[in-house]
Amino acid sequence: MTTTPATAGTDRVLKPRQAFYHTKRFRQNIPLFLMLIPGILYYVIFRYFPMGGLVIAFKDYNFRDGILSSPWVGLKYFEILFQSKITLQVIWNTLELSVLNLIFGFPAPIIIAIALNEVRKNWLKRWIQTIIYLPHFLSWVIVAGIVLTLFSIDGGTINKLLAQWGIEAVPFLYRADSWVAIFIGSGMWKEMGFGAIIYLAALSSIDPSLYESAGLDGAGKLRQIWHITLPGLRPTIILLLILGMGRLMEVGFDQVYNLQNPTVLGQAEVISTYVYKVGLQQAQFSLTTAMGLFESFVGLILVLSANALARKFDQGLF
Amino acid sequence: MRESTGGKVFSVFVHVVLIIISLTCILPFLHLVALSFSEGHAVDLGQVYFWPVGLDFTAYAYFFENTPALRAFTNSVVITLCGTALSMLTTVLTAYPLSRRYMYARKPITTAALFTMLFSGGMIPTYLVMNSLHLTNTYWSLWFVGLVSTYNMLIMKSFFENIPGEVTDSAQIDGCGEMQLLGRIILPLSLPMLATLTLFYGVGYWNMFMNVILYINRTELQNLTVIVQSMLQIQSMDNMMAMDVAQQQELISEKMKAVGVMVMVVPMLVVYPFLQKYFVKGIMLGSIKG
Repeated sequence: MTTTPATAGTDRVLKPRQAFYHTKRFRQNIPLFLMLIPGILYYVIFRYFPMGGLVIAFKDYNFRDGILSSPWVGLKYFEILFQSKITLQVIWNTLELSVLNLIFGFPAPIIIAIALNEVRKNWLKRWIQTIIYLPHFLSWVIVAGIVLTLFSIDGGTINKLLAQWGIEAVPFLYRADSWVAIFIGSGMWKEMGFGAIIYLAALSSIDPSLYESAGLDGAGKLRQIWHITLPGLRPTIILLLILGMGRLMEVGFDQVYNLQNPTVLGQAEVISTYVYKVGLQQAQFSLTTAMGLFESFVGLILVLSANALARKFDQGLF
Repeated sequence: MRESTGGKVFSVFVHVVLIIISLTCILPFLHLVALSFSEGHAVDLGQVYFWPVGLDFTAYAYFFENTPALRAFTNSVVITLCGTALSMLTTVLTAYPLSRRYMYARKPITTAALFTMLFSGGMIPTYLVMNSLHLTNTYWSLWFVGLVSTYNMLIMKSFFENIPGEVTDSAQIDGCGEMQLLGRIILPLSLPMLATLTLFYGVGYWNMFMNVILYINRTELQNLTVIVQSMLQIQSMDNMMAMDVAQQQELISEKMKAVGVMVMVVPMLVVYPFLQKYFVKGIMLGSIKG
């Protein structure tokens, strides 16, 4: 409905340009645009101005000259970015942690949703849902606190148990491999229950008679899941995978910042925490903006190519 | 129809896995509750598991009397209440016009908003904008930086779009203006979705951490998350420099940490069960796509 038929008759006598300002549609649009003012201001000032501010990645930014008058330096900071060992390590860490996060974190909610779908008792299903959604609502500060009480070397619950069995304490949080495992595991623990909601909604739209006839044909549970449930979830999976690809160059600041410790920084320093520590605290604005621009840009490329690929199979998001 | 043996084994397996996962989600809380109510020496000796040893409320009293925590708590409440109200108001006012089919330029504006989900200026340029507007060290920086979550806005927009046209058309024929249409018809029909998004925004503001350490330097303005974080991570005590050594010692004891976490979590646990039932209804009626 792009035109309002009701106005067609009354406007016929007016010239086209006048007609535009006198249509019912125009009058309806005035309050709509008034409503939109705060939203537009927000997006322009706090979302699009910072995008313009990205030019300082190509400038030698200093407070005195500001964003506009600081001198241009071309690609100087990108050269530093891709030549310095530290920044390359930080970019590599980001990629490593987020790829692992995707590999382990992405299937988990799907498995949970399929499992929940098999629970026939409604009260039990509701209880399980209420409980496993809960960690999503906790701050990373709290989750990191729980991780510390579990895994710390002195007084951590797991090391206390090990001590009771006469096993020496393990520095879980100070060894690179176990730290990465804890990092991925805590992310899964926090988000997999809540992530299952969207799949549960998709599951509820699968026709139950498909399962019945498959059962009559002698298909077991696993075969039913493979041939009915997973195809039913496919559009949702692809949608979330496209969105996940866009986040492949970023690791949530709160998560890393609260879980990392100086001993594992070689593995645990990622773009967002590096930008905060070196950019804001040591005032290296241009270098870290170049890093942030690289992160955003690769994310954009990834999400667009994932979408283009999905569109080939008629599953594109946009 | 009788289930096959394979089906039974599968069903048992599924239940066991789900119950184990649920336990991993609930046991840390029980442990923290037990720690926070137990007597101090029992905590230090590691005798407390999931049930308090003795009963002792003094840690809670201490937390709110002798530390910056009470101020941080009120700060968190102010940030959360005002922030959620501002965010919901702006999100409704953005989503509603964009959901009207007769709105001019509705497609390009929606695309411009969607683009910010895919590409952003990032931390430093956003900080510089905040700084040049002199908003740092005020709560306006926290409220403005994430005023509208594009994701929430799009959920709300497609929820509004899915309200049947007959309802709104007949109201408009009766002479209902846009403001009345929104306030009297659209919003009352959207309560589950509004409840869900209010919860999402509220949790976001209550848990806010990164933006607070970015934009707020003054200790007296910091929120509970930041204070609890410095209690939990012993190595970074710079926020607590103002306190004497005895106070610091008390604050970083296992028991006080548990109290800090409880104070963060309890307000959320109180609200959550009431809103949880709306999640699926609220989120799913407006799918992300579109």
